[in-house]
Amino acid sequence: MSKPSTLDSTLPPRFASQPTAHAGTVRTPRRWLAHPAVVAVVIALLIALPFFAQDKFVLSVAVTTFITAIAACALHLIVRTGHVSLGHAAFMGIGAYVSAIATMNFGLPFPVAVCLAFLVPAALALVVGPILLRLTGKYFVLVTLLFGEIVRTAFVNWTDVTGGSTGISGVPAPSPFFSGAVPFYYLALGFAIVIIGIIGRLLASETGRVIDSIREGEALARCSGVPVLATKVAVFMLGCGIVGVAGALQAHFVRYIDPTSFALEQSLNLVVINVIGGMYTLIGPIVGTLFLVLLPEFLRGYVELQHVFFGIVLILVMAFFSGGIADAGALLKRIGAGRGGAR
Amino acid sequence: MFSPAVLGQVFVDGIGLSAIYILIALGFTLLFGIMRVVNFAHGAFAMLGGYALYYLYGGLGLPYLIAAPAAALIVATVALVLERVVYRFFYQRMFQSMIGLLGLDMAIMYLAVIAWNAEERSVPPSTDALLHMGSLVFPAQKLIIAAIAAIALLAFYVFTHYSRYGLAMRAAAQDVDIAEAQGVNSTAIYRLAFFIAIFMAALAGGFYAQTYALSPFVGEPQLMIAFIVVILGGMGSIPGVALGGLLLGFANSFLGTFYGSATSIFVSFGAVILLLIFRPWGLLGVKEA
Repeated sequence: MSKPSTLDSTLPPRFASQPTAHAGTVRTPRRWLAHPAVVAVVIALLIALPFFAQDKFVLSVAVTTFITAIAACALHLIVRTGHVSLGHAAFMGIGAYVSAIATMNFGLPFPVAVCLAFLVPAALALVVGPILLRLTGKYFVLVTLLFGEIVRTAFVNWTDVTGGSTGISGVPAPSPFFSGAVPFYYLALGFAIVIIGIIGRLLASETGRVIDSIREGEALARCSGVPVLATKVAVFMLGCGIVGVAGALQAHFVRYIDPTSFALEQSLNLVVINVIGGMYTLIGPIVGTLFLVLLPEFLRGYVELQHVFFGIVLILVMAFFSGGIADAGALLKRIGAGRGGAR
Repeated sequence: MFSPAVLGQVFVDGIGLSAIYILIALGFTLLFGIMRVVNFAHGAFAMLGGYALYYLYGGLGLPYLIAAPAAALIVATVALVLERVVYRFFYQRMFQSMIGLLGLDMAIMYLAVIAWNAEERSVPPSTDALLHMGSLVFPAQKLIIAAIAAIALLAFYVFTHYSRYGLAMRAAAQDVDIAEAQGVNSTAIYRLAFFIAIFMAALAGGFYAQTYALSPFVGEPQLMIAFIVVILGGMGSIPGVALGGLLLGFANSFLGTFYGSATSIFVSFGAVILLLIFRPWGLLGVKEA
């Protein structure tokens, strides 16, 4: 029984047909982005940012970027197993609602609420994961799309708990101290660094190789003794839990949640971020987030044109180089190599 | 509440909805079955069909029976440009087609917002006449929609089963390489199938706009419908579309009338998810190796 992986045909040809001697040189363009020194400089700059820019707009854009980056990296984790989920915003929404309800109706402190925002989506993922993750390719995409719609319908119609389509307003700040723009900036930055660091470490570890092996050759991985379904479910749970945390952060940052923020469009955005940035490296979703959050924030006047632009970018990326922007260097090299006749 | 009059109403509504659903989903399944393309932009073309009908029938005042096919024809012809520019890069590449065509969907939708702004419009009904059948009263428009849809489906069936091009199309759906080896021009067949698929979607989009409303965002629910119908029947299966469309049309009409639209969404989506889990190839589809 050979189940084709979702992503098998999207692999850049270098994995399949290029001589291995090229592999090392082709990988370099994105290696430097993940170099510890580069990461340290970026983090230092981010820590220093509030000292230069006290502007509330800049800080709130930065916080949105951090939250989106967490959510996109959570989806990235699932994408790495070979499953593209079109319902990830639903889990983000569950995290947001759980955290908002926990703090407002039950008076729980913020840290407990965030833990709940991690646990509840993860628990739901544990229930649905073993069923959904048996599906591959297009069926998984479709079923998660429908799942996202069901959750959204539940948000809209379960009025007693979720407030229906008017949503919940007046979600409190994490604590009086974090109600200011600068403290919340550091809170979100801290969450982003820790969570993305954990994801990066996980993907670089032996577990990460197991995940890649499941995507590249599920049957072979199973034959080699990898517990395929258990690994997939565990990764799915982790991805859903983390995106729940991102949802909780967003709820306490915007102070308001409603079903439309967690509808299909947000799920699509998360997929777009991963695709545009590049699906085979953790740098991908981070670059994609910068692209998708920062660009619109600074081009506010032309909302429709932005969407058109993103749509066209999406077509171009999928049609011509599925490695994403983070892999643009590799693409240039491939074109260069193609010209030289060494395909 | 289950009186014969109400049930009759539900039945008539079910026929009207099923006709629209089948038309939308038929093109979707055609593109999937022949080109292995998951057309996420299907709803966008249906939306364009709605606008074309809005201008031809509501604006220019052409007779309805000319305006409806003409609107679909215009959309399908314009879409052929997109076939050259976008779609041909995604043929036989299922995963890339999903994401890439999502991009196309987004681009078309927001170009429509720029062109026609986001406000809702309504397309005038084809006739205001009411039909009386015993205790039943229903708008004649529903029957006209169902009749046009039936004609389109019948023409499609005759075309695929009794013409050389239809035969070539079915051959290409089964195995492109072998069909090409027998002299089938797959580029031309792809273009033909694409044209038919978009024609049907645009026709259905016009009916949908008449039944509900018209805005740049009506494509999304129609895309959902196409998904559900096609999954119910089995992806790529044409009889499956007929069965799935009838099931969903009558289920929506029945549940929507008696239990409200939210229940109707829950039940239909839930049923589809269950089906996907236990029989992902659909009711009439063929299991993939």
